Amino acid sequence: MSSLVVLGTMEQGLMYAIMVLGVYLTFRILDYADLSVDGSFTLGAATAASLITAGYNPWFATLAAFVVGSLAGVFTGILHTKFKITPLLSGILTMTALYSINLRVMGKANISLLRTRTIFSDFTSIPLFEKYGVLILSLITVAIIGILTYIFLETEFGLALRATGDNELMIRSLGVNTDIMKITGLALSNGLVAFSGSYVAQNQLFADISMGIGMIIIGLASVIIGEVLIGTTSIGRTVFAVLCGGVIYRYIIAFVLQLGLVATDLKLVTALIVIFALVSPGIKKKIALPGKNE
Amino acid sequence: MLKVENVVKVFNKGSVNEKTALDHISFFQKKGEFVTIIGSNGAGKSTFLNAIAGNFPCDSGSISIGSRNVTKLPQYTRAEYISRVFQDPMSGTAASMTIEENLIMAFRRGEKRRLRLAIKDKDRDFFCQELSKLGLGLENRLTTKVSLLSGGQRQALTLLMATFKEPELLLLDEHTAALDPKTAEKVLQLTCEVTKGRTLTTLMITHNLDHALNIGDRTIMMHEGRIVLDIEGEERKNVTIANLLEMFERASGAQLHTDRVLFS
Ligand SMILES: Nc1ncnc2c1ncn2[C@@H]1O[C@H](COP(=O)(O)OP(=O)(O)O)[C@@H](O)[C@H]1O
Ligand SMILES: [Mg+2]
Repeated sequence: MSSLVVLGTMEQGLMYAIMVLGVYLTFRILDYADLSVDGSFTLGAATAASLITAGYNPWFATLAAFVVGSLAGVFTGILHTKFKITPLLSGILTMTALYSINLRVMGKANISLLRTRTIFSDFTSIPLFEKYGVLILSLITVAIIGILTYIFLETEFGLALRATGDNELMIRSLGVNTDIMKITGLALSNGLVAFSGSYVAQNQLFADISMGIGMIIIGLASVIIGEVLIGTTSIGRTVFAVLCGGVIYRYIIAFVLQLGLVATDLKLVTALIVIFALVSPGIKKKIALPGKNE
Repeated sequence: MLKVENVVKVFNKGSVNEKTALDHISFFQKKGEFVTIIGSNGAGKSTFLNAIAGNFPCDSGSISIGSRNVTKLPQYTRAEYISRVFQDPMSGTAASMTIEENLIMAFRRGEKRRLRLAIKDKDRDFFCQELSKLGLGLENRLTTKVSLLSGGQRQALTLLMATFKEPELLLLDEHTAALDPKTAEKVLQLTCEVTKGRTLTTLMITHNLDHALNIGDRTIMMHEGRIVLDIEGEERKNVTIANLLEMFERASGAQLHTDRVLFS
């Protein structure tokens, strides 16, 4: 791999790692297979791109992506908790609805951000940051989000959230409204996913209606890779692991591309990684896969 | 203290599987009283405790704890007054979380969960002190994940979690039934220790008639969703297990069925 590819892959990996952390919050912490992710990733990209082309400050646009992503998560959460729709179906409903909403937000199937101001153009225009600006901004973002998530998961509220995914009956009998926990967890998760989408769009300089397709499987593959390679002995380590998983996944993909596969084969490769993890007994033992098959 | 009046609970109403699990049940319990509950499988014992804890809304009747009518309150708000220990040792703790994390969650029972660091050093000192009372060596394993503990250790931990922040009402549902005899005895002994010398109002379901008569102050027997026998004081002291079985047959017109050991 050329040094340029190595650098670009690292930048992308860090941006996608934020999405992976979101997937981790639902799939692992809440034990909730949330498929809204495919829609909320695009929603984040669409929101940021539309606001930026409409002349808004890109930092504001990025923050807005987080907020609308959270709202999508709240929607999924309400479908599940208030209307008792299964987790899987709630997520699919949100994902489907978001497809139309994303088209409305963008007004067309894709938006170019060429020659517009983005958070990255702001950052790379700082003297000495020309070459590594994207990397540094991504790294700082991931570090801050990772640390905040870790601290959050060690708070009283965070403990209640984790217990909701682990033993709902128990934490409810200790006085926690688990519906609120699930809605909050889904909101945070989808907020992070949309935030990640807004970073990716600003880095690749376009938002596209189909950019979120398969995101949930990419997220899951990354979570599994991180957990297997780095471990899950403590919550801090696990957060670190899934963030690394997001980056490592990108390197695997870059490697596969170097081998001569084309970009359209990547979803197959990703699915194979997850299938391999699901059927391999050694890995199965090491990590608890979604669906409570412990 | 606990007042249950005319409570009815019908499961699967209107279907072929309709089942009246609680049939106009009324029950009054004084503060600090320890009541044991016996009855055949399917008599409605667990449903009775679930109704008190608020797992589901009752079809009719009312329930109050102290001076508060809790009939319409959801389970998570009743948690302020009620602690529970279930039969399954897995059900009372969060397996993927550490001992200290489980303890602090129980310590905050019924409180609002805030965005502040959950465990502080002074909590750890307190936990060590409480855990050492169990005599299981858990005080040195605060950061061990609960999934690594045995069933008996988990149940002892659950019992501690249920009582160290004193509830007004403690509900025990055959909490020793899934343990081996030796561990069961140990957990039962702990139960007596934590409830004694405090004004804990306790309801304990057991399938062991010996325990039912010798632990606590009063024994009730359930059958088909009703309380068919209620004995305390002198009367209870003089009752033998054979008497009890006889009384049950007379009161219910059926044989006491539990598919587990009656005498042990
Ligand atoms: N959630 C439920 N749905 C339907 N039926 C139930 C439910 N819970 C209990 N029952 C029924 O109510 C009756 C009483 O059950 P339970 O209270 O568990 O008895 P036990 O005295 O053995 O604890 C049983 O016939 C049981 O099948
Ligand atoms: Mg029962």
